Amino acid sequence: MDQHEQHKKTLISALHVWLDSYPEDFREPPNHPALRHLLSFCEDYLPATELDAKVRHRLERYTREAHIDPLLISPSTFALRNVAVGWKTYKLPEIPVRIFAEQLTRMDVDLFKKLVPHQCLGAVWSRRDKSRSHEAATVLATVNQFNAVSFRVISSILVEHSPRANDRAQILSCWIDIAQELRLIKNFSSLKAIISGLQSNPIYRLQKTWQVVPKEKIEVFDELARIFSEDNNQWTQRELLMREGTAKFADTVGENDKQLQKIFQRQNNHTANISFGTIPYLGTFLTDLTMIDTAIPDTIGDGLINFDKRRKEFEVLAQIKLLQGAANAYHFAVDPAFDRWFDSLLVLDDREAYQLSCQIEPAVQNKNNNKKNHQRHQKNDSIASTSSSNSSQFYCEVDSMPSSPHNSIDRKLSPSQMSNSSSSSSLPSLDISMNSSHSGSANNRLQVPFMHTGTLSPNSSQKSSPDFYIIKVTYETDSVETDGIVLYKSIMLSNNERTPQVIRNAMYKLGLEGNPDKYTLAQVLPDKEMVLPPNANVYYAVNTAYNLNFILRKKKSDETDTTSKKGKPKS
Amino acid sequence: MTRPPNENLPTVKLVVVGDGGVGKSAITIQFFQKLFVTDYDPTIEDSYLQHVEVDGQWCILDVLDTAGQEEFSAMREQYMRKGDGFLLVYSVTDKNSYENIVNFHTQILRVKDRDTYPMLLVANKVDLVHLRKVTEEQGRELAHKLGIPYIETSAKDPPLNIDATFHEVVRIIRNQPQTDHEKRKKKKLEKLRRCVLM
Repeated sequence: MDQHEQHKKTLISALHVWLDSYPEDFREPPNHPALRHLLSFCEDYLPATELDAKVRHRLERYTREAHIDPLLISPSTFALRNVAVGWKTYKLPEIPVRIFAEQLTRMDVDLFKKLVPHQCLGAVWSRRDKSRSHEAATVLATVNQFNAVSFRVISSILVEHSPRANDRAQILSCWIDIAQELRLIKNFSSLKAIISGLQSNPIYRLQKTWQVVPKEKIEVFDELARIFSEDNNQWTQRELLMREGTAKFADTVGENDKQLQKIFQRQNNHTANISFGTIPYLGTFLTDLTMIDTAIPDTIGDGLINFDKRRKEFEVLAQIKLLQGAANAYHFAVDPAFDRWFDSLLVLDDREAYQLSCQIEPAVQNKNNNKKNHQRHQKNDSIASTSSSNSSQFYCEVDSMPSSPHNSIDRKLSPSQMSNSSSSSSLPSLDISMNSSHSGSANNRLQVPFMHTGTLSPNSSQKSSPDFYIIKVTYETDSVETDGIVLYKSIMLSNNERTPQVIRNAMYKLGLEGNPDKYTLAQVLPDKEMVLPPNANVYYAVNTAYNLNFILRKKKSDETDTTSKKGKPKS
Repeated sequence: MTRPPNENLPTVKLVVVGDGGVGKSAITIQFFQKLFVTDYDPTIEDSYLQHVEVDGQWCILDVLDTAGQEEFSAMREQYMRKGDGFLLVYSVTDKNSYENIVNFHTQILRVKDRDTYPMLLVANKVDLVHLRKVTEEQGRELAHKLGIPYIETSAKDPPLNIDATFHEVVRIIRNQPQTDHEKRKKKKLEKLRRCVLM
């Protein structure tokens, strides 16, 4: 009998701890089955106890709360309008890098605190059914934010208006500065997102841009990138997390991290009394948990629970929990201008990003050595000169770049080539693919004429339109969306695409299925919306005097009916 | 099997790619299983390092499997850059994973800036016969289209072709045709050759 009481006591205290420490286990909206189960257990065996009261109270609270998960709400439709109206926000590279690092961290802290550790388990995250992704919604939200940061790094560098490698390099350097601040704040999630963006193929391959990034910046970048080296099973990153996870501020450097040593010294002189938490890169934990789940069976022998596996998993989850606790040390207030800036950046998929990158620096066809060959320049040059405008990229590089050993080949370009290519200018990333037959004067925001002081011929200010625009499309819906992180999808709009095709592309990008005839597309203008006619050539129909923001909308059901009866919309 | 020589062996970096849920981690774990029968710890330094002898030549296999991180799509290219050879894994029970292989293939070639690169198409989970949605013929057809070899695997006990898969990629890396510009690669191969002589 005594033993029975003892077991009961143990069970009760275990249930108390469970309820207090892991409330999410009992939430399970909308019916809270586990909690109801527990309640009926209490009614039978533990009536009128403290536990019974706690369970009742919990159930009442959950029932009261109309369950709204902030992670699942999309702010997209509102954000677009805000951007369209109050456009003036931050613009790279003239931004306060520290504030940017803090704001990125503020976003990450929010998500990290909401992260439900057990959703990271291999059995939950990597075995989940993709169609029911809410099972690991908090993990997914973190992943989405990581990608959102990386994609913004990539697009901000590729969509830089200026054809000068120097200008592009400035934006790139700016991201390195932000990354450096993130290291000081110990936000390894956004830090890795930026490093990944800079190491993604479309950016990594831009040799001309990298060549004009100051040497010290490159060193900082290399040192930061080393943190995430895959060598020895992510040893550097693991070690760093062990040392700094709950430390007050960043102070760990490798022997060869000359730049970081200097930076830490400066930091320690200035901000000795500020302390930060740590935001880890979640991916490493996810892989470790996936591997544990794969390597170790759930049960042993006669279907007994394999506690050894659970213990190993708990070690990882406990580390996450510990860091979550430490993350409370962060206090960064929301900067609405930053949020607007963040939302306004367009996002390219990897194919589009690669295409743009290749237009900035064409892919080498004959890969005969690892040096840069000037054949590529000549080839490029000839393409540029047959189109209606020439690129000044080569001129700028040869002329204004600080001398570096890599440049010696560029410098051998003959003077005639130089003068030819510098005779007029516009954005090379676009005019390489440009069709000389139409030189309309569309005032696209992607296509800002580049003014070079003094050396350019008068027609350098002539505008010419590119072969395509990048437009941003958002989907307007009344229902709650699952993916609120990426606000827009950007799509390429080429000069012969008609409304149904553009809608189809947008639907594809937004993951919508169904009949394109059931949707309308409208451009968002400052004071109104311009709905595109059913079969317009969108390229010519858009108003390029404004930002190319669009709304995709499902037609009202009566409209749909008439359309579907008629079959195809009339042209 | 002879014992691995003590000399400095060449390291071969293999990267395992493929959609989530295709059993990448099971293939990797099965390959390394001999090492951690007793106590597996995914966090230690040499969890995914192993000495292997392929065709009489020893090397160190360094396997990068980012299972669980598939959706961090922005960092994929970063680790692709590090690979000397790739396992492109799909599950024969998942048509989507089969159709996605071509994307991984394109992305690797883009990152490597090459027309061909050492890769092996791995059709996993062939033990699940009645759940199979992608036939062997379709698998071979895709392999032919991509110009890479094909292998069928199962990581369930008894495992099928797991060691063979890793060994095959090492062979592909060693046998890749060399061109002038592949100096770095060539050096590696020379190292591989040198170790035969020892």
